[in-house]
Amino acid sequence: MPDFLFYLFSALTVLSAFLVTVSRNAVNGAMYMIVSFVGMAALFVLLEAYFLAALQVLVYAGAVMVLFLFIIMLLDAGKGRTVRPDRLTTAAACIGGLLLISGLIYITFDSGAAPSTPLPVITELPENATATNIPFTTSSRSFGYGLFTKYMLPFQVTGFLLLIAMIGVIVLSKRIDSSGDEPAKPRIAKS
Amino acid sequence: MNYNGFQELAATNQWSAIWPELSMAGIGLLVLCLDLFLPSSRKRLIPLVAIFGQLALLAVLVMGCGCATESTGPLFGGMIESGPYTPYMRAFFVLSSTLVCYLGVSYLSRQNLPRSEFYLLTIFVSGAMMLLVQSSNFVMLFVSLETVTIGFYVLVSYCRYSPFSLEAGLKYLILGALSSAILLFGIVLLYGAASNPALAQSTTDSMNFAALGKFIAATPEEPLVLVGAVLVLCGICFKIGAVPFQIWVPDVYQGAPTPVTAFLAVSSKAAGFLVLMNLVAGPFAALSKLTVPLLSAIAIITILFGNITALGQRNVKRVIGLSGIAHAGYLLVGVVAMAVGVALAPWAIIFYLFAYLFASFAVFGVMVHLAGVEDEIQEIDHYQKLAERQPFLAGVLAIGLGSLAGIPPLAGFIGKLLLFIAAFQAELYTLLGAAIIGVVISVYYYFGWMREAFFIKPALPGDEARPSYPMPGAVGIIHKLTLGLLVVITVLMGLFQRGIFGG
Repeated sequence: MPDFLFYLFSALTVLSAFLVTVSRNAVNGAMYMIVSFVGMAALFVLLEAYFLAALQVLVYAGAVMVLFLFIIMLLDAGKGRTVRPDRLTTAAACIGGLLLISGLIYITFDSGAAPSTPLPVITELPENATATNIPFTTSSRSFGYGLFTKYMLPFQVTGFLLLIAMIGVIVLSKRIDSSGDEPAKPRIAKS
Repeated sequence: MNYNGFQELAATNQWSAIWPELSMAGIGLLVLCLDLFLPSSRKRLIPLVAIFGQLALLAVLVMGCGCATESTGPLFGGMIESGPYTPYMRAFFVLSSTLVCYLGVSYLSRQNLPRSEFYLLTIFVSGAMMLLVQSSNFVMLFVSLETVTIGFYVLVSYCRYSPFSLEAGLKYLILGALSSAILLFGIVLLYGAASNPALAQSTTDSMNFAALGKFIAATPEEPLVLVGAVLVLCGICFKIGAVPFQIWVPDVYQGAPTPVTAFLAVSSKAAGFLVLMNLVAGPFAALSKLTVPLLSAIAIITILFGNITALGQRNVKRVIGLSGIAHAGYLLVGVVAMAVGVALAPWAIIFYLFAYLFASFAVFGVMVHLAGVEDEIQEIDHYQKLAERQPFLAGVLAIGLGSLAGIPPLAGFIGKLLLFIAAFQAELYTLLGAAIIGVVISVYYYFGWMREAFFIKPALPGDEARPSYPMPGAVGIIHKLTLGLLVVITVLMGLFQRGIFGG
């Protein structure tokens, strides 16, 4: 049964990702992308990474894609003329893609190509978690421990990063007249 | 469930150790709150709060510089580690940020732009730079670098109804994002290689500089490591504007508001170099067979490119930008000497950065004063007969440019001399030759600018067709004091070096 589900969701993910690239309409493309993200979330569930699956749906399929759709509709994209890539670009992209696929096939089917060690299965934090070694587990609790101990400082700096981005967007987009600091130009008196 | 490991980790989160960064964040947040709650008649207080807050912090930092500075070891679970240079660089960034805010006051008084956000962004970005130069973990490095870069995206396009500023902002956004992507890709390759349990000395904490350094020392030939290291160095070279990653420099320097250009030229470059020094002496120490030739080649091309392209420029901001590329080249010579293992090199770099700060801000102070509303199109011709009209500004300009060119009694000369001594000790004679040729070339365009200010050209036929430039207004007493202080420090640093950095 899990095998069947794996193939089902992988096919869903890959097929909709392919449709993203070929769909003519940008809104359709964004919709296919949502399907692809949901398929990936299902794959995470099959891997017992429930937290990642929830994040995938909430953040990517939810927030990020809403933003994408918003921008597409706001800018009215997809109405302009389509630009066909020139022949050189097409050839380079085809060769690059073929190389990538052959490399992936080689790594997958040749056991000696990539030395791999089995990953330990952890669902709870082990006894020997130390300062330099926070193991990643599938429980959301371990992410919390990591964020609030080892990664506390970057976590806080990220907050400032978001603050700067927010202030920057407001500064760059708010109307100059409403800056309100000083009466810059004399307003025309009401007649 | 055992919590001991986490308690150990939480114990290294010593917030008191990063009090200067926290104070910067505090000043920034204070400015934000004042902007919200002050009535608009009192808004003039905001730049005063920003400048004097940072001056107070600077005073405390400078007093602390003289004290013994023992390394505190890794803090925040190995995220940051303060080294011997940290106190100086903290003072450097606070000083630079104060001066940028100061230039911002005179710049913004001429523009109809939002005010307090400028100070806010400058202060936050400087705080992030102070963290960036201490970071000893790639997670911390990337997060603080992004904070700096995103702040700069906004600051560069701050004057948003100027097409130059917008163009500069767009170019900086695209190339900055590209360089971040390259850097991140390098980090990921290093992470992947160092976490591979099949390799010797693999580590579970492979973002940490110390652990990564051990791994690289054990497997310096691993191709994934080499590619990753080269990509990381490329990403940093974008930030410091070294050739072949210098394309963005002239346009962005020209289009950005002048105080932001100064901020980019001084603080951003210094932060990039400190990161480069940390990397070359830290995790990539075992890769000196790769880093020394790579950075040497970049340094030679950078010095020659910057100086030669600056020769033909007439726009002063482009001249400053292109000569800034050349300065990055001289500093790269110091980094190479450091990678070879010369003990003098890091101190020479820091001295050079300080000399560059004082001289650059003197020149930028004059530029801000002379600029009209559209400060992107300031040509060298603007400075004609400056000595007649404003002898004080002409003197400041002469000393600032002289220091940048490296004329003997000034700080810039000693900075270059120290770098060259370090290069000589490291036996980098080719680099030394290229740097000396570069300095000779640079004298031409720096002095051409000075000649414009001091000597009156005979009137040629056709001169009437040239646009006449408005006379700059009188220099205020505060502006005089600030510029005078910068010049005096430049001269004093050239005459007395004993006592700085403990002799």
